[in-house]
Amino acid sequence: MPALPTLQLDPDLARFVTGGVSINAGSASAAGVPSLCRAFGCRVEPGTDRITLFFSPPQAADLIRDATASGALAVVFSEPPTHRTVQIKGQNARLIPLAEGDLACVTAYRTAFAQSLVFLGFTEAMVRTLLDCPDEALVALTFTPSAFFNSTPGAQAGTALIPALAPPLAPGAP
Amino acid sequence: MIPIRALRDCLDGVIPGVVSTCAPDGTPNVAYMSQGQYLDDRHLALSYQFFNRTHQNLLANPRVTLGLIHPQTAQQYRVHLTYQRTETEGPIFESMKAKLAGIASHTGMTGVFRLLGSDIYRLERAEVVPGSTLPAPPPAVDPLLALRTCMERLPTSPDAESLLDALLDGLQTHFAIEHALVMMLDPRRDRLYTVASRGYATSGVGSEIPVGDGVIGVAARERVPIRISHVTSEYAYGLAMREGAERQGMGDRLETEIPFPGLASPGSQLAVPIPGAREPLGVLFVESPTEMRFTHADEDALVALATQVGGLFRLFLAELELGDEAQSGIPREPPPAGPPLRVRHYAANDSVFLGDDYLIKGVAGNILWTLLQDHQTLGRTQFSNRELRADPRVRLPDQSDNLEARLVLLHRRLAERQACVQLEKTGRGRFRLLVGRPLSLEDMDAGV
Repeated sequence: MPALPTLQLDPDLARFVTGGVSINAGSASAAGVPSLCRAFGCRVEPGTDRITLFFSPPQAADLIRDATASGALAVVFSEPPTHRTVQIKGQNARLIPLAEGDLACVTAYRTAFAQSLVFLGFTEAMVRTLLDCPDEALVALTFTPSAFFNSTPGAQAGTALIPALAPPLAPGAP
Repeated sequence: MIPIRALRDCLDGVIPGVVSTCAPDGTPNVAYMSQGQYLDDRHLALSYQFFNRTHQNLLANPRVTLGLIHPQTAQQYRVHLTYQRTETEGPIFESMKAKLAGIASHTGMTGVFRLLGSDIYRLERAEVVPGSTLPAPPPAVDPLLALRTCMERLPTSPDAESLLDALLDGLQTHFAIEHALVMMLDPRRDRLYTVASRGYATSGVGSEIPVGDGVIGVAARERVPIRISHVTSEYAYGLAMREGAERQGMGDRLETEIPFPGLASPGSQLAVPIPGAREPLGVLFVESPTEMRFTHADEDALVALATQVGGLFRLFLAELELGDEAQSGIPREPPPAGPPLRVRHYAANDSVFLGDDYLIKGVAGNILWTLLQDHQTLGRTQFSNRELRADPRVRLPDQSDNLEARLVLLHRRLAERQACVQLEKTGRGRFRLLVGRPLSLEDMDAGV
């Protein structure tokens, strides 16, 4: 894929992606077979252009293999009660050691996502089971964002959130 | 490979699936999927609602990875698919369209979610995503056991009417389905008419809906089961009854004379066609005030039941041909006493009124009018299904017409109205006309 300019998240977007939202990341093999995995939280380093996601390695084996080989990652963040959905496309994906505060970030994420879904009628046990992973097994995958897209269902879905900096719609837009 | 049942549960659930695709230049894309439908063990369909990046990608690279979550156990699955084609009409499309309307309504997306097509995928591989799970709650009803128990009773029914009773009783007793009805197809008029129901304030026997209308009408037209977990007004039926409607030159204004008996605020509905030799014989319809009440396994069971009911119905129709002729030589019964009741027949739609009360129309109306004419002029009270089938006055649409269902309708309607005219079964394919008071027959527009 072509090299794209990297972007920083504005405070509102940073708050959104690190809140109680559903996070799913995708990549693809060199043969074009897509991979997919749910993440257990997101950290945005203030003042940097990097976003870090947390995964269970057995669940994310294909995704990590593909993303670290190509560097390409697409991540969808969606807030179930409002359907507000943002897709971030990125590059330079690589595994990094967990930093101080990352486990607390995952713990806070589980609580925030559970609250968001319990509000919709799901049980907390259901959400916590979905997000269950031993702390010592968690891995961190970091990448640099290159485009943000509004993916909220509707006519505006697929529009670039920062048109001036985003690449042209094709290829790679949601 | 994951069990098909688990895959179907995931597709039925309210947790949206996630779709990962890849552009020709290698750029990945992740999107939410509103609705998926299990087709068979090698295929499934996903809703296509917007021409978005997902759709552009799969036209260039048909490989798709779909992430699913089991709604009860939280077990995650990943299904690897290859896009094959998009259907924009037909049974799969119509079934998904009806469901999507429900999902849209449930999620506040009415007007946003619109089905452009059903994307058909081949299932390449499915994997269980390692992770924690919850124990699956035991189902309230074991559909396979309920099906077996229900099916055992159906073939012991001696006629169509008791078959329908056995079916609806069985659904109530063994499936805990409290609201159900059976509608039969009138192929000449492209309408379905209610012949039996359970669980409603009024039976609605005789009420009609056009083929293609609502979940029942679409199920009949497309010959496909339609199961909706979140019912929306888009597929609901008008329940209003036109009190005191102008009855002259009625046309189709009598459509609403007998109100459809459906629930005012249904949560879940399931309509299953009753298969016939060519077009469906009718539709079995169940509903519940509870959302997500009917599972894929319930659908399986009701399809099996409807198939058996269809087979038995066709057997009854074949037996009619062998039915006894009406016995002649039965002494003419003494005419009833009392003031005569005016009975009107309108040839335009074969509607029959007892006094001022609308009773029935269509072929069932013609049957009654024929019986009453013979009773009046010949004093006859004994009739056979077989002779009615051959009688040109009845004007059956064709020889394969479901006369049996029309007699069920007429019998029930007369019984419900506690009319002074009743039908009483006297043997296989034979019945007796009971007339409780003198009648004065008036053909209102015989020349039409």
